[in-house]
Amino acid sequence: MDRRAFLASTVASAAVASLPWRTASGQSGWRTFEVTTRIDIQRPSGVSRAWIPLPLAGANEWHRDQGDAWSGNAAQAEVRRDPKYGVEMLYVEWPASQGAPSIEVTSRFSTRDRAVDLSRPGAGAARLSDAEVKFFTAPTELIPTDGIVRETAEDAVKGSRTDLQKARALYEWVVDNSFRDPTVRGCGWGDIKSMLEAKNLGGKCGDLNALFVGLARSVGVPARDVYGIRVAPSAHGYKSLGAGSPVISKAQHCRAEFFAAGIGWVPVDPADVRKVVLEEPPGKLAMDDPKVLAARKRLFGSWEMNWLAYNTGHDLALPHSRGPKLPYLMYPNGETGGERLDQLEPDAFKYTITARELKA
Amino acid sequence: MKFFLAAALLAASAAGAQPSLDLADLEGRTHRLADYRGKVVLVNFWATWCAPCREEMPSLERLRQALAGRPFVMLAVNVGEGGRVAADFMQAMPHGFTVLLDRDGSTTKAWGARILPATYVLGPDGEVSIRHFGALDWSSADAQRRITALMP
Repeated sequence: MDRRAFLASTVASAAVASLPWRTASGQSGWRTFEVTTRIDIQRPSGVSRAWIPLPLAGANEWHRDQGDAWSGNAAQAEVRRDPKYGVEMLYVEWPASQGAPSIEVTSRFSTRDRAVDLSRPGAGAARLSDAEVKFFTAPTELIPTDGIVRETAEDAVKGSRTDLQKARALYEWVVDNSFRDPTVRGCGWGDIKSMLEAKNLGGKCGDLNALFVGLARSVGVPARDVYGIRVAPSAHGYKSLGAGSPVISKAQHCRAEFFAAGIGWVPVDPADVRKVVLEEPPGKLAMDDPKVLAARKRLFGSWEMNWLAYNTGHDLALPHSRGPKLPYLMYPNGETGGERLDQLEPDAFKYTITARELKA
Repeated sequence: MKFFLAAALLAASAAGAQPSLDLADLEGRTHRLADYRGKVVLVNFWATWCAPCREEMPSLERLRQALAGRPFVMLAVNVGEGGRVAADFMQAMPHGFTVLLDRDGSTTKAWGARILPATYVLGPDGEVSIRHFGALDWSSADAQRRITALMP
């Protein structure tokens, strides 16, 4: 490289690095990751069980699961599939006689960044059946679609005609009216009716994106939460939107999608906009900070896939457990002696999740 | 690694049509299940990155050797890694069974082999009689007895 070319590329790199949501060259193709979840049941008492979320099954335009394997001293380990949402988990069981119950589950998947062209709404053939529309506009236990939820949504979408316009209005409403509350444990359980009634729209992704989903469903826009975990740093210059280390035990993150006829499922993530506002260095950014504006624009219609999708399920009963249903399955769950372990406390449970990218 | 010998884990399969298998081996030759009708066929889904698969594989080879000359075929399907990776790995793994390539993972999905290793044993009629997810000592007397019991 001659000096002039070197200088030009250096200047270009500096310019790119300073832009919000910079385009990362070489990151647009498929990337393959390996995620390993290790569970060591602490102080086992009687029969121990674990339920470990597995990567989204199958393949689509942005995700391909490549298989899972396990090793450990479990007496039983089998894939269980929730019949309603297709949530797949590894169900694990250890007998009371098993000392130091442990299992390690390794999953491989490939993913690539996802962006939907919203400039030509209605141009494509994507449609949901009537049954699918009904399914994706139905309430869940924590996401009702009537009462204050619908009243709030109807007010927010006034003047909007299409599902795309309604979803856009609701996305902006959530970004404008919610905030990220760092004191919420885990990702928040998404009790959106209580949030609206209390007029406290603070929470994390499990709350804020559930709010978007509930509001959308309440005005007839098919929508769903997608639960998963961050597996790598963001390549777009956002410290707050990536996993900061190979240990991702606390990097769970859920996102949301809505369906627009003619376009298909559209990725959104209003919760991450609020995360940028609160956490992106130096922190507590103004809403008109260029980094916030860029994230707000990008997170309606695109997802950076430094993230593994697990499932889209709600209100899940764990097989062979007498414990309560889960609002969603995004963390490893376990129990010993009939008592649930705290899924939000990986160090006490205990579990460790690690991720690494596999370079070709 | 613990190998699970419990008879309960060698469960009889549920009724239902078995997905097809139509895959190329490391030399590019195509293999179909129908080619082996009349024999007991063991189909093992594996990957080089799957530690229990690697640990289990020598027991598969011992099983193959133990049943040599009997109406028995073993097909080891590599999941999604491609010919070079699979061939390099198999070079260091003494084996006499056929290695097939499920390059896009579609056959693996169709068979429901979500957890690796996943092993299916089909009777001479082509119906799945045994399915097992996770590693097993396939050369054990119990496994051999169950497989030979399927032979015509």
